[in-house]
Amino acid sequence: MYDIYAIITGPLAWLSFAVFLGGSLYRFISLYQLARKKDGAVFQYMNLAYALRSIAHWLTPFGARNMRLNPVMTVVTFSFHIALFIAPLFVFAHVVLLEESFGIHWITLSDRVADILSMVVVFSCIFFFARRIMRPEVKYLTTWVDIVILIIVAAPFATGVWVFHQWAGFPTMTLVHILSGELMLAIIPFTKLFHMFLFPFTRGYIGSEFGGVRMAKDW
Amino acid sequence: MNTTVRQLILLILISAGVLLPSFSFSDDCTNIDEATFTEKRRPFVCFIHDEHNEKAGLEEDCALCHHTYEEGKLVADESSEDMACSECHAKENDPKQFELTATYHQRCRGCHLEKKEGPITCGACHKKAK
Ligand code: HEC
Ligand code: HEC
Ligand code: HEC
Ligand code: HEC
Repeated sequence: MYDIYAIITGPLAWLSFAVFLGGSLYRFISLYQLARKKDGAVFQYMNLAYALRSIAHWLTPFGARNMRLNPVMTVVTFSFHIALFIAPLFVFAHVVLLEESFGIHWITLSDRVADILSMVVVFSCIFFFARRIMRPEVKYLTTWVDIVILIIVAAPFATGVWVFHQWAGFPTMTLVHILSGELMLAIIPFTKLFHMFLFPFTRGYIGSEFGGVRMAKDW
Repeated sequence: MNTTVRQLILLILISAGVLLPSFSFSDDCTNIDEATFTEKRRPFVCFIHDEHNEKAGLEEDCALCHHTYEEGKLVADESSEDMACSECHAKENDPKQFELTATYHQRCRGCHLEKKEGPITCGACHKKAK
């Protein structure tokens, strides 16, 4: 327990941050080079105004036609993404740890709100999972990797709720919580989770091509 | 049934699993710095001063916790049992007492980790009353 705790809160924590940042940088550079080599036109089509226009539409709830066609999915996706970022960054327990390690702190959520946001993430993941196996057109595209990623994303939040409520076995669960969070961070650059950084570029490009070349809307 | 309705039903079923947390406090033990931690977010740690220090072999080493500093330097054999940690470590305009909390965590959890004895996870120290 003590040794594992020391390792996962020490070297492994740094390693996961390093893999996350280093891996993301590597992905950015290699994707940039690939685009330069294979598809230079991408850079010519890029148009800031059209890109921002498209991004804004897709960041607005129900701002795109597809979102209006799937209202439940839209609500779940938006609340999922908001909770996914707000909860870990502002949950009190994490901010206290920051104060201990680096002497900094910032605003925090009440424990009740953080609890609810975490559950939003977990239940959204269950929803995404059900959708993936129940809707034929989505099932067709689903591979086991998608399911594993869903589990990895849900795990830190599910264990966080567990640990907060001190349900049976919570000390061990604390270790699982930390470890699964680190795992999630570390796989971001190498999986489709990288869309957290790529989104503005892919959306921006599509927006540019539709706006500037095809003279059409892409939402 | 169209997909929207089916998705809605699914969502409601999933949400029905939400458990309401129950908050409670234990009161048999010494509450550390009760006067300073006015906005409690966690149950007080059940710290039984003499029993803890006896078990941990700290009876001779009061100054490990009750230390005194002079001009930023630790004074080796002087102690400050007559003072609460918060008298030196609390920030006045911080209702959440981040720094004081961090100070306790560093001292308490730090030693537990080093000695490989005693609680190190949040819930093991801040136990909810059963
Ligand atoms: C593990 C750290 C630790 C050690 C070692 C320790 N104490 Fe304490 N002591 C505390 C804490 C924490 C408090 C509570 C302070 C508060 O509420 O502000 C306390 C409170 C006290 C108080 C009461 C102060 C008050 O204001 O009510 C006395 C007296 C005291 N300690 C004496 C001792 C003596 C004597 C020793 C050595 C035999 C000792 N302590 C060793 C942590 C420690
Ligand atoms: C007389 C004032 C005073 C009292 C009382 C006091 N401290 Fe300190 N403490 C200091 C000063 C000064 C420092 C060094 C400067 C700093 O790091 O803030 C310090 C540093 C620390 C540190 C970090 C440095 C290290 O040794 O790693 C911890 C942890 C700590 N104190 C815990 C406690 C605890 C727990 C209590 C109560 C049992 C306590 N202190 C009571 C003045 C005090
Ligand atoms: C110098 C080392 C040291 C420091 C400092 C220390 N502890 Fe401990 N603590 C121990 C050891 C060793 C044990 C295991 C003793 C035992 O067998 O119960 C322990 C056990 C405990 C336990 C579990 C007791 C039980 O009955 O199971 C609690 C709670 C605890 N410590 C709280 C604290 C708090 C709160 C502080 C800070 C104010 C603190 N400790 C500071 C060494 C330390
Ligand atoms: C080794 C024991 C120990 C561990 C582990 C520990 N704490 Fe504490 N914590 C304390 C002590 C002692 C205090 C002082 C007052 C008290 O007893 O609550 C404190 C104070 C606090 C406070 C400020 C008082 C309050 O309730 O608002 C918060 C919040 C807190 N801890 C949260 C946490 C969180 C979150 C974790 C895990 C990341 C954690 N603690 C781990 C011992 C511990």
